[in-house]
Amino acid sequence: MKIIMEGVAEAFRLIFSLDEEVFEVVGLSLRVSLLSLLIAGVLGIPAGIFIAGHRFRGKRLLMRLIYTLMGMPPVLCGLLVYIALMRRGPLGSLRLNYTVTAMIIVQTLLIFPIITGLTVSAARDRQGKIRRLARTLGADRRQTMQLLLFEMRFGLITAVITGFSRGISEVGAVMIVGGNIDGKTRTMTTYISQLKGMGEFERAVAVGIILLIISFTVNTILCYLQKDPGEELRGGHAGGI
Amino acid sequence: MPAAYETERYGMELQIQNLRKSYGTHTVLDIGSLTVHDGGITAVVGPNGAGKSTLLNILAGLMKSDDGEVYYGGSREIPFQKMTMVFQEPCLISSTVEKNIAYPLKLRKYSGKEIHSRVGTLAAELGLTHLLGRRTEGLSLGEVQKTALARALSFEPELLFLDEPCASIDPHATLEIEEMLLKRKREKGTTILIITHDLAQAGRLADQVVLLKEGKVVEACGAEKFFSHPDKEETRKFTGGELLV
Repeated sequence: MKIIMEGVAEAFRLIFSLDEEVFEVVGLSLRVSLLSLLIAGVLGIPAGIFIAGHRFRGKRLLMRLIYTLMGMPPVLCGLLVYIALMRRGPLGSLRLNYTVTAMIIVQTLLIFPIITGLTVSAARDRQGKIRRLARTLGADRRQTMQLLLFEMRFGLITAVITGFSRGISEVGAVMIVGGNIDGKTRTMTTYISQLKGMGEFERAVAVGIILLIISFTVNTILCYLQKDPGEELRGGHAGGI
Repeated sequence: MPAAYETERYGMELQIQNLRKSYGTHTVLDIGSLTVHDGGITAVVGPNGAGKSTLLNILAGLMKSDDGEVYYGGSREIPFQKMTMVFQEPCLISSTVEKNIAYPLKLRKYSGKEIHSRVGTLAAELGLTHLLGRRTEGLSLGEVQKTALARALSFEPELLFLDEPCASIDPHATLEIEEMLLKRKREKGTTILIITHDLAQAGRLADQVVLLKEGKVVEACGAEKFFSHPDKEETRKFTGGELLV
C-alpha cells in the first residue's frame, strides 16, 4: 500500500515537474496507439460494414476468424510480426524491427479485428432498414453511407474506444518488435515493465497512473462524441441529418 | 420552389406489364397488365401471401423482378427522386421529429427557410407541431407513423407507396393519416398506391381497387364497382369476407 501511495505522489510530481523522460514515453505511446487506431479504423469500419451488408461464401468462417483474432494474445501477434520483419523473414529487407513503424504495424493488427468485429455487430441489425429508408427517400450512395454511419455512431464509437484501450494498454507485442529502446521505442507499458524489473516500483506505479489518466482523458473525449446527440443536431450535424 | 409548393400538381402514372417474381419454384407475383392512374389513390388488397408487399417493393425499386416492365410516367427508369414509400413499421432516424421530416429536403438541398416552412406546415397538418423537438425514441406508434408520412410528403413526391401504414395504430391517428392522403390527392394530385388489409379503409380512400391473390390480379376496377358489383365471383367472396385469410 505504501508503494502505491508513493507511486501516486510520484505521478503528480512527474506530471507537474514536466519530467522529460516521462513525457517522451507518453508522447510515443499516444503516437503509436492513435496512429494504429486511425489505420485500423479506416480499414476496419468499411470492412465491417461490407461484411455485415453482404452475403458471400465463407462469411461465417470469416466472422469466426475475426472473433478469434479479437482475442489474439499480443505476444503471439508480436512474435509473428517480428518473424516477418526479421532479416531472414519475408519482409526483412524493410529493416523495420525495433522501429516505431513496426510497433504501429503490430498494434494495427491487434486493433483491426476488434474494430471490424464490433462494426459488424453494430451494422448487422439496422443496416438493411437504413439502406431501404435512404433509398426510398432518394439518398445517393454517399448520403446513404453518411446516414448509415450516423445511425451506427454509438456502436462505432464503442469499437473505437475498445480498439484504443487495446492499443494503449498493450505491452507484449510492442516489447517484442520495438525492443523498449530508450528514446526510440519505449512506451509507457514497456517502461513500466522495465521499471518493475529494476525494482523502481514507485516510479512504475506513477507511470501506470499517468497511463490511466491519459486513457481516461481520451475515452472521455470519445464518450462525449457518443452522448445523446439531440442538442448538437439542432445546429446541423454529421451526414446532413 | 415555394410558389411551386403551393400551386403545382404532381402525379405520375404507373404501368405494369408482365411482371413476375419467384422464389425458387414458387411464383409470388405474376401480373399481366395493370395501370395505376395518375393523381388517384389505388388500394391493393388481398389475402396474406397474395404478393402485395412484393409488388410494392418492386415498384419502389427495393427489389428486382425476374421479368416484366414497370413504366413510371412512360419511362422505365425508376424515379427515386420523385417517389417514396412509407413502411408498416417505419424506420425513423434516431434524432428529433423535426430532423426526420426535414431529412429528404436536406438531401435535396432546399434552403433553411424553405425547410422550416415545409416542416412547420406538415407538422401542423398532422398534429405534430408539439412534437417537433422531441426525439423519436419515445413516440407512440401513431406518432411514428405520422412522422414517417410527413417525412415522405415533405418533398412533394409524385408517387407515394404505403405498405399498411395504419395496421398498428389507433383509429384517430388512422383518420388523420387518411385525411392527409385525401388532401394530397385533391390538392397536389399525388399518385398514391396503398396496401391495406382494411377493406373499409380501401373504400374510404381508393379511386381504384386491385385484388391480388396468389400473385395474380383477380380484379382491378373503380372502388364503387369493386365493392358493389364486381365482375369476378372471387372479388365478391373477398369483399364478403370469405377470402380474408
